[in-house]
Amino acid sequence: MANQNGSVYGLTLLCPILNDEKASPSHDLQIRDYLSKLTADSTSPFAIAPGTHLARIVVMDDVVYVGMPACEEHLKSKYLVFESNLDGDLDTYLTGLATTIPEHIDAIWSHCTGYPGCADKAKFVQYMKNCQIETTFFFAAVNDKSVPQTLTALQTQRAVAQFIAEHQGISPAETQRDFIEFLKVLDAAPPLKPAMNAPSRDIKTGGRNE
Amino acid sequence: MSNINGKVYAMNAITPMRPWKTWILRLVFFLLGALKSKQQDLINLSFIQFARWVIIPRNSFPFFGGTQERDSMKYDYLLFFSNFNGTWNQYIDAFSAVLSDGLNLIWRWSEKFPGSVPVTPFKDYIARVQFDTDYYYTAYPEATANDVKSAHIVQQALDNFRGQATTGTPEQFQHAYLEFLLTVQAHLGDTGEAPLVS
Amino acid sequence: MSKLNATDIQGFVLRGYNMPYARYCFLHFEDPQRARELLGKLLSIVTTGQLWDEKPKSTVNIAFTHQGLTALRLPIATLNTFPVEFQQGMKARARILGDTGCNSAEHWDEVWREDHVHAWLGINGVTPEDVAARFDAVNSLLTETNGARCLGTQDAASLVEDGAVTLKEHFGYTDGFGNPDYLGVCRATQPGQGKLDKDGNWTPLATGELLLGYADEAGELPVAPVPHLLASNGTFMVYRKLHENVGTFRSFLNQWSALYGAGDEHAKEKLAAKFVGRWRDGTPIEVSPDGPNPAITQDPNKSTNFKYGDDSTGARCPIGAHIRRVHPRDAFGFDGRLINRRRITRRGLPYGPYAPDDGTITPEQAAQLDAVDRGVIFMALNANLARQFEFVQQQWIAYGNDAHLGNDKDLLMGSHGPGEKYVVQGDTNPSNPPFVCSSLPNFVELRGGEYFFVPSITALGMIVRELVDPR
Repeated sequence: MANQNGSVYGLTLLCPILNDEKASPSHDLQIRDYLSKLTADSTSPFAIAPGTHLARIVVMDDVVYVGMPACEEHLKSKYLVFESNLDGDLDTYLTGLATTIPEHIDAIWSHCTGYPGCADKAKFVQYMKNCQIETTFFFAAVNDKSVPQTLTALQTQRAVAQFIAEHQGISPAETQRDFIEFLKVLDAAPPLKPAMNAPSRDIKTGGRNE
Repeated sequence: MSNINGKVYAMNAITPMRPWKTWILRLVFFLLGALKSKQQDLINLSFIQFARWVIIPRNSFPFFGGTQERDSMKYDYLLFFSNFNGTWNQYIDAFSAVLSDGLNLIWRWSEKFPGSVPVTPFKDYIARVQFDTDYYYTAYPEATANDVKSAHIVQQALDNFRGQATTGTPEQFQHAYLEFLLTVQAHLGDTGEAPLVS
Repeated sequence: MSKLNATDIQGFVLRGYNMPYARYCFLHFEDPQRARELLGKLLSIVTTGQLWDEKPKSTVNIAFTHQGLTALRLPIATLNTFPVEFQQGMKARARILGDTGCNSAEHWDEVWREDHVHAWLGINGVTPEDVAARFDAVNSLLTETNGARCLGTQDAASLVEDGAVTLKEHFGYTDGFGNPDYLGVCRATQPGQGKLDKDGNWTPLATGELLLGYADEAGELPVAPVPHLLASNGTFMVYRKLHENVGTFRSFLNQWSALYGAGDEHAKEKLAAKFVGRWRDGTPIEVSPDGPNPAITQDPNKSTNFKYGDDSTGARCPIGAHIRRVHPRDAFGFDGRLINRRRITRRGLPYGPYAPDDGTITPEQAAQLDAVDRGVIFMALNANLARQFEFVQQQWIAYGNDAHLGNDKDLLMGSHGPGEKYVVQGDTNPSNPPFVCSSLPNFVELRGGEYFFVPSITALGMIVRELVDPR
């Protein structure tokens, strides 16, 4: 199934945004405004809701006109694009969003046509699936590890590198004692929260001049 | 607007395709999926965390009635979403240098695609069909695809080694520890912030 | 490809002069007309790439910053076609290059701190007297035309050890290997210096990686300023004054080599070799992991003829070693195609007094050595600053992801913060163990520099005669 790659699922949603001339600012601008204020660190809604490796939300204004001899055409609505790379099962994931971060989901998706709200989980999941576009081809560098497994591995890697660096030229007996101690500390360490190390940056877009 | 989060860049691109060409593209993707060897180059480039291509047939834009007018287009559209490490220029330079055939096989069906070699007109085309991300989330902004792969190798090596480490004499430990070091020695890179781009 | 006209290209672009002494002068133009008059006089003495029947005693070359070209009143439309990074200048690119902390502009030599340098005038000479004589001649032109003010000079010279001129820099490493071969650039090609073809043989790189106006490795003409005549046969130059903390380096090497392998003199030289990828005499450790070997070093067919394909674990040459970082060869796969557009040509010299090394060092001696003004004048030539020099500096020296080393930096050149480390991969051989150095100090500190445009002789003439027309 094209959406699934190993244990990772590629969700692509296109949700039409409400076209209301009387809304000021328009619905797409309201979404953009909300998103611009949303954090991407460990307080992000996607850090709180489980199962998201990487995800993006994009307001797609229109299709692109590539120039003659191609024809110019336009979409009648703007679309909210949600691209998510998630662990495991789609229903569980979507239900998770509606359960753990309903205020954020409502705040964003209430600007979309036909959105029923988070309260009725079944209706919510059905709506999202109605917006789903089948992923034609999905590539994943690592497709068999969950988000918690990945965060644990990163934590382990950091700790191991530090241990090795600190034990150059130490006797085997002492290294062994220290290592046993190291394992205890590592096992007891609280698991890393997702997106804990998101740096702050002033320039976020990047592009031609990079 | 934020295309970048930590070490990863979110690129979105949309290109129009004449509907009869879409079938050829579907066949290309089918073969790519079936022949794992064709994916090897993509895997070896090792700076893409996740990437996907999504074909939206011309009449398949989601429609919910009410005040929404149905979108019925002349072209099918190919959406491309990439999550890659490195700069925009580095990414496109690398693909143009080593995967140009694969790129051409996917995008030649899109209108006005100039080919992926030479790289300057290719970059012009991408700049025209790329649209920016409004919100980008990653659970591990401090890690690239390489960092994640290395982390899993270290975790695996540690899981294998820990049993031997706690039992055994110091000599046995020394021997097993050396084996452990040799397994992880190329995978100990720090994780952290990405190089600044401007 | 078209044959190169060596008389139109400034000499040091095509090859190193092999002259051990140099003086670099930094000029500021007060008045465009007088400046042009000065350049007109220099035009007749600028050293070109024409081969010498008899080697001259000294050479003269010139290059301009964007500020300099602006001061010469080139048309705005032309000035705007120069690449963004060149227009900004190296100081403004500090965060991209990692020139922060002890490398930031507030620590630079005064001449580089404001944006006053308009031109670099390079004099090379066979003896210090030859350099001085040429400098006097140039100074007369400056006074005669009143075309520019000399803001300062920088002397540089090969290190002399036991009376013999060496190719060493102050940490004791023999330099001068690995400059790329380009198509059509008249110089004996050496295996290992060009690019790899799909059969695994070495061939020269496309000329356009060095010179503007020629096809480059991407199968097109490199992005260049307009008009074509201004850019063709020209190139861009990076100039960086790199202070070397010789005392810090010697202490660091002594401290860590005591824990490495047998901890003896051989282990010390081996660890030094593991930092860079070459033994200090220049023998590549990839080819000769157990010791230096003059038979390899002195044979151009062998001294850079190697690949890393069999050494993916880094047991012979560490994955983060300097030469492996800046020239990965086949280490990234794809027959080396990912690195062909990331090569640079280097033309620098050391500066400052030679410090003999008896192998021991105390903290006081180290501090004294560090305080002396000595290091390397790093000069790199490339057709595209952002794609070549800046990329290598940012992605391969100050960062390690392409080599699968995460955020780890080049040991000698990186700007280190607390907690950083250098991993020496090893094997089961007790004299080649896996090893990690930590608490990395800063061995190299940036003391100034800038980006320059090195024009062809034709372009220089156009500038002198105010014939630059952007179309």
